[in-house]
Amino acid sequence: MDREPEIQNKEPDSAPVEPRAKRDSLWKKAFRKFFRDKFGIASLVVVGIYFLIAVGVWLDVIGTNWSATTDASFAPPSSEHWFGTNINGQDIRDRALYGTRVAFEVGLVVALLATTIGGVLGCIAGYFNRTIIDEVIMWLYGCLDSIPFYLFVAAVAFVLQGNPYAMHIAMICTFWSSTCRIVRGEVIKIRNLEYVEAARAVGVKPLTIVFKHVFPNTLHILLVQATITFVGAIKSEVILSFLGLGVKNSVSWGIMLSEASSEVSGGIFYNFYTASIFLFILVIAFNIFADSLQDALDPKKVSV
Amino acid sequence: MSETTKPLLSVRELAIEFKTETGVARAVDHISFDLAEGETVGIVGESGCGKSVTALSILRLIPSPPGRIAHGQILFEGNDLASNSEREMRKIRGNQISMIFQEPMTALNPVYTIGSQLTDVLRLHKKLKQKEAREEAVHMLETVDIESPEKRLDEYPHQLSGGMRQRVMIAMALSCNPRLLIADEPTTALDVTVQAQVMEEINKLQKQFQMGVILITHDLGVIAESCQKVIVMYCGKIVEIAPTNELFRNPQHPYTKGLLHSIPRIRKEKIDRLPTIPGTVPDIQNLPKGCRFADRCPKASDQCHEQYPELTHQDTRSVACYHPG
Amino acid sequence: MPIVELRDLKKYYPIKGGFFRRTIAQLKAVDGVSFSIEPSTTFGLVGESGCGKSTLGRTVLGLHEATDGQVLFDGKDITHEKGADWISQRRQMQIIFQDPYGSLNPRFTVREIIREPLDTHNIGDAHSRNERVHELLSVVGLRPAVIDRYPHEFSGGQRQRVGIARALALNPRFIVADEPVSALDVSVQSQVLNLIKDLQDQFGIAFLFISHDLAVVQHISHEVGVMYFGKLVERAPSLELYENPKHPYTQSLISAVPQPDPENKSQHQILEGDIPNHRNPPQGCPFHPRCPVAKPECKTEKPILKNLGTEEKPHHIACHLY
Repeated sequence: MDREPEIQNKEPDSAPVEPRAKRDSLWKKAFRKFFRDKFGIASLVVVGIYFLIAVGVWLDVIGTNWSATTDASFAPPSSEHWFGTNINGQDIRDRALYGTRVAFEVGLVVALLATTIGGVLGCIAGYFNRTIIDEVIMWLYGCLDSIPFYLFVAAVAFVLQGNPYAMHIAMICTFWSSTCRIVRGEVIKIRNLEYVEAARAVGVKPLTIVFKHVFPNTLHILLVQATITFVGAIKSEVILSFLGLGVKNSVSWGIMLSEASSEVSGGIFYNFYTASIFLFILVIAFNIFADSLQDALDPKKVSV
Repeated sequence: MSETTKPLLSVRELAIEFKTETGVARAVDHISFDLAEGETVGIVGESGCGKSVTALSILRLIPSPPGRIAHGQILFEGNDLASNSEREMRKIRGNQISMIFQEPMTALNPVYTIGSQLTDVLRLHKKLKQKEAREEAVHMLETVDIESPEKRLDEYPHQLSGGMRQRVMIAMALSCNPRLLIADEPTTALDVTVQAQVMEEINKLQKQFQMGVILITHDLGVIAESCQKVIVMYCGKIVEIAPTNELFRNPQHPYTKGLLHSIPRIRKEKIDRLPTIPGTVPDIQNLPKGCRFADRCPKASDQCHEQYPELTHQDTRSVACYHPG
Repeated sequence: MPIVELRDLKKYYPIKGGFFRRTIAQLKAVDGVSFSIEPSTTFGLVGESGCGKSTLGRTVLGLHEATDGQVLFDGKDITHEKGADWISQRRQMQIIFQDPYGSLNPRFTVREIIREPLDTHNIGDAHSRNERVHELLSVVGLRPAVIDRYPHEFSGGQRQRVGIARALALNPRFIVADEPVSALDVSVQSQVLNLIKDLQDQFGIAFLFISHDLAVVQHISHEVGVMYFGKLVERAPSLELYENPKHPYTQSLISAVPQPDPENKSQHQILEGDIPNHRNPPQGCPFHPRCPVAKPECKTEKPILKNLGTEEKPHHIACHLY
């Protein structure tokens, strides 16, 4: 074999200039991936429209006539009442628009709080797996899960007599558990990854590891869970209002459907169609959005 | 090629491309080589050189999209595999051409017993009945030197060690007497003592079944001991082809030389620093003009940076370099 | 005085079974290992999967708590350190991991990764910490411009350099290198190995170099220990071990390495069988079921590590043949 070639003293690494796409953070890449998904964009637009409606109602710009009663009971759709009126002569269009705001309010509050609580507790339970902390948290959500949802809501509503947020509280108390379970499973996996071990080896304290290393790597799960919870909260509100346990002194799609249940047998469908269509489109759009989001954020699918 | 007999496998100007977020990446860029019956050819190179992609594409296992065969032919016993339909390929896989992979744990299905996985292959290709397939499976396990084969048939992959699982994979691959065996890093994930066992097994079976073997690895030691011919790949291109003895005795391409010099080996005397190849492998989506190794090559000249040196052939050797030797 | 000394170090894991999940046996990952490492030298620990070398490395650092035995650092017993003591001990001893892809948090930039040790131990202020990061990057051979890039933008070898920079941040005197080059390409391996040697020369760091690659270990180590089934079966200066392997396991290990030299095809001593099952460990010497030259007493008595060489040229073996 011929003489060994010239040896250099320290090879400064020539990290070549990477093309634009490769240099972005994982979030930016996910962002771009999401915006290539046509269904994802379409669904986001639909959700965006609903959001604008909700903001408009909140700013008292649209849907202002939702409670004004008139004599025109069960009036058919016309230029004045786009979707007709209900038994009290109230404008169904404005009631449906107002319902959008209520839906978003419930959805956002419950989604944000339930996901945050579930995420934090899931991280702690997963990181301290096989200790008493994990056992306690698992026991907690096990207990809560074993109580039938509607019974629980009824009980909370009863205890919190008249509190307008009784429904929200009840929902948050029950919805956090599914997020917690999923996050806990993921954290148990992450915990064994070498970069977590590396942080321990450097001397980082356990809770700091949980919040700086582990939690950010669960954000993609939390985002998707938040969207699922949002939809779940809206759907639950509909049923609760239908059962009379929902919002008070206000209107929502659930209340409209509740009214509709007695009207339909008489051949009057205005409430039914309007509320159903509003609900259906939002739920489908949000579901598609959640799927596209999950695809975009999935770290395993991070492409070149 | 000075062979008078027709080669078992002939790859002609094969190019494989992948569609990515940032454009098209050509993982394999117009490569050609032949494999004779009963011959073992080693394909050696580092990550990103395209050796695994080449192996997978012979059996058309590259998912398409995002990958596709952009150019070339893969002639196997006269038939061009590149233009076969999926149905035709399914008849060939496991039957005339078999493949074994790097990770025996993930290549075997953890929820089925060894026996059911072995008999599946036999019943599919050889159309055997369950009882006959089971007997044949026992016979195959004996061939790969697994003790108490009847007992093993009812065990699950996790109950076997890494070396045994790899041998089961070899048994599965050979159960239908393939003419060609593709081994993609078969020993990389194994301990060195097990590696020796598995390589001995492959060599023995190759002689017994007179198969052609394509052995893909980054381990030059394994190549030296098992292959008659070596193909060196870099960045999607073949840079050198030579009979094994000659490659190690007299490497022509600077990359081959650098590689041979930089592998740590057990020596009689200590050396202070290991020789290295400076720099890193270029990104295949951002390739330099001219020779892809030029930036790291001690012999690079202006010509090397301007124009890609095509593979030139002389006797049994081929090299893609303006300054070989 | 050795910088690190292990005295009969043991790490056992309980194996639970039975109806009430009681402890029915112990998985003896590390079963009584003793050796010492002098400052500025490298001790190579070699063995195959399941021999316990990775567990040993982590137990020495305190990432796993030892079941028995002692770990001494600069003469001080650090085996059961906890809390603030354990954290401040991190400034003396660090680790480099095998997997360049898994050992860096994908959401941290290089700057954040290398700064973390400095932030954790409150070293200097924000300005001096950033300077230190720049300094460390050039020590490991990376351009300072990459400081705000993410791990996925780098190759395996470059990521490993980031991991090394992180390990160096606190100026440790001892680093456990757990298979640091096994996941890298061959041409990159030699770059990183040269870097590790340079760091030892420049900063006087002692290394415990764990690997299954015998050639790499021979090159980088001053002394080498061979592990099998949780025990050290042979230990000697590196050239001596490879020239004169005495233990049958060491001999078959060295013989099994494929040599890149086709004209000199070595006869491999093929070792039969597999490593023993931890649930059913063999009596006596753990290697005897596979040993080609086992004697009757190998089945019943455990061999003890003895020095068969001299004080200046030690050669420790645990085998009944000697």
